[in-house]
Amino acid sequence: MIEIDNLHKKFGDTEVLKGVSLSIAPGEVVSILGASGSGKSTLMRCMNGLAGLNGGSLLIDGLDVSKPRELREIRKRCATVFQHFNLYPHLSVLDNITLAPMDVLGRKKAEVEAEAYALLKQVGLADRADAYPGQLSGGQKQRIGICRALAMQPRYLLLDEVTSALDPEMTGEVLDVLAALARSGTTMIFVTHEIAFAREISSRIVFLDDGVVRADMPTDRFFAEDGGYGDERIARFLAKMRNK
Amino acid sequence: MFWDGFLVTASVSALSIVGSFLIGVIVAFGAVSRRPFLRKAARGYIGLFRNIPFIVQVFFFYFGLPEIGVYIDAFTTGTMALSIAVGAYAADVLRSGIENVDTGVIEAAEVSGLSRFKIYRRIILPIALRVSLRPLGSVFINLVLTTSILSTITLNELTGNAKIVASDTFRPFEVYFFLLLFYCVLTYLLSLLINLWHRRLNRFMRGAE
Amino acid sequence: MRNQGFNWHDPILWAQGLGVSVGVFAASMILGTVIGIFIALCRVYKVPVVAPVLLVISEFLKNSPVLVQLFLVFFGVPVLLQVNITPAEAAIFTLTGNTAAFIAVIAISAIDAIDRGQLEAARSFGHSERSILRKIIAPQALVVAMPALIGLAVNQLQVTSLISAIGVIDLTKVGQILNQRTWQPFIVWTIIGVTYFILSRLLAAAGGRLETRLRRHMDWAGL
Repeated sequence: MIEIDNLHKKFGDTEVLKGVSLSIAPGEVVSILGASGSGKSTLMRCMNGLAGLNGGSLLIDGLDVSKPRELREIRKRCATVFQHFNLYPHLSVLDNITLAPMDVLGRKKAEVEAEAYALLKQVGLADRADAYPGQLSGGQKQRIGICRALAMQPRYLLLDEVTSALDPEMTGEVLDVLAALARSGTTMIFVTHEIAFAREISSRIVFLDDGVVRADMPTDRFFAEDGGYGDERIARFLAKMRNK
Repeated sequence: MFWDGFLVTASVSALSIVGSFLIGVIVAFGAVSRRPFLRKAARGYIGLFRNIPFIVQVFFFYFGLPEIGVYIDAFTTGTMALSIAVGAYAADVLRSGIENVDTGVIEAAEVSGLSRFKIYRRIILPIALRVSLRPLGSVFINLVLTTSILSTITLNELTGNAKIVASDTFRPFEVYFFLLLFYCVLTYLLSLLINLWHRRLNRFMRGAE
Repeated sequence: MRNQGFNWHDPILWAQGLGVSVGVFAASMILGTVIGIFIALCRVYKVPVVAPVLLVISEFLKNSPVLVQLFLVFFGVPVLLQVNITPAEAAIFTLTGNTAAFIAVIAISAIDAIDRGQLEAARSFGHSERSILRKIIAPQALVVAMPALIGLAVNQLQVTSLISAIGVIDLTKVGQILNQRTWQPFIVWTIIGVTYFILSRLLAAAGGRLETRLRRHMDWAGL
């Protein structure tokens, strides 16, 4: 369970999150939408502890992100996939995937490696285990990024604009992997620009606007006349995204 | 005679390369630390030892240490002084290597739950080293050339021995010219080695982010 | 000789040493810059024979210890050519060559950094090679080269300390003299070290100011 209550976040004098409240239950697939600058990426950085809070609280399974000891526990349960992949350039694909499970969870090498191979097979990259990130295409890198996150066997998977840095022809291969994952019951939180994908995959939409939650409703309703489209600002956003 | 000198030069160089590298790593991490005191101390160290001639530093230790009751030979004093001085140069190179590590990669390591120490050891340092290998190589090549200064504290390495040979044979020009050539060859071989190592380490490093 | 305290004459000795160090530094830096630029131009304009020979010599100087270069010039050359060379002459000669070798490398890469298109544009307007060099290449290359030049200057200042080994009474030699007489190594070498440190910082600060002024000038030119 992720419980966010009246969350505030400032960068210098500008307040990016102005009292966000939200809760996400296990098994949910939630997409956080919003224009750039709406605070959605910052919200995600608060969830994995990369950005500190200036007010309010953020609990994951009852653990407080603002307490270092509890954050350490949270990071074992939450894994992040990044917009720019952020793979470790000096490690092979296999080592990228197995580093944290072995080091943070203290699991055995043989076991973790067997799982890593299974994950690589799932994303169609079984033959690239010994390659280095520099030898892969963007779409391949992001699929490895997903494997790296999944190898932690996380309860919560945070996905931050995972297709934004990809060429259009590579977006599909990544989205296919994610769609399969969503059906498997992992809790997933997307920050995304892909409206169509959000509509297809998520059960719930959270719309952030200027640092506050402007809409939080089931996907079907959000994309209906009386839901998101009933709100003038959301309608304008959706129209803009559609025209892209 | 020449061979003896070469052995001394080689062993002082090897030991000092190891010593200055270790000092360099520690000071570099101090220089990028979040604690203002550590930062200042580390940057002060780098500034101090880079702005005082090595020969003055060597004399400080060589003549000073016996005054406080520390009696060590020229070899040990030289190795220590070289490690301290070149450590400052190595630290500066490594510092800029560390500062240039992609923050996204560090964040990825952070959110995966790796401890701060592990992030430094497994992620930041290996990446910074790969980037800094070439400039670090020229720092170490300079170290080898600087060992010649240890002849002024009576250490009979290559240059110290050459001085003796030059005055024994009355052929200083030939002796020193040959010695210069020899240093050139030595540093050239060293730079080849570094290039090779650089290429090996960095073969897959491009475009990973 | 030993265990005598400091006396009133010592500050004068210190000042003399300082003067010698700064003088040798300035002389070799200026002469070295002129020769280094000459080498760089030979390379840029691909002068046959001269360019490769000078570059080989400059590689040779960059990759060998300055101390041994000093020994070669001071002890070796007089025997070989049957001439007399004073320590000061040997010092300035050697350090000039050494500085020139490094200046050449810096100048070549600074000139290479200038956009080729500009030079072609200048040629198409009919400027002479000489005026292109003076009005277009030189000012830009200087700005590009400034950080490297400052680094080199600070380094060369410290290299001057080695001339004490061939008997020039520079700051380091003064330190040795005082060290032997007073047997107060910590005081003597701390004073000498601090003097070099302050000189280096002053040099770097002056270089930094010059650099910002040059850059400001460039920004204006850019408008």
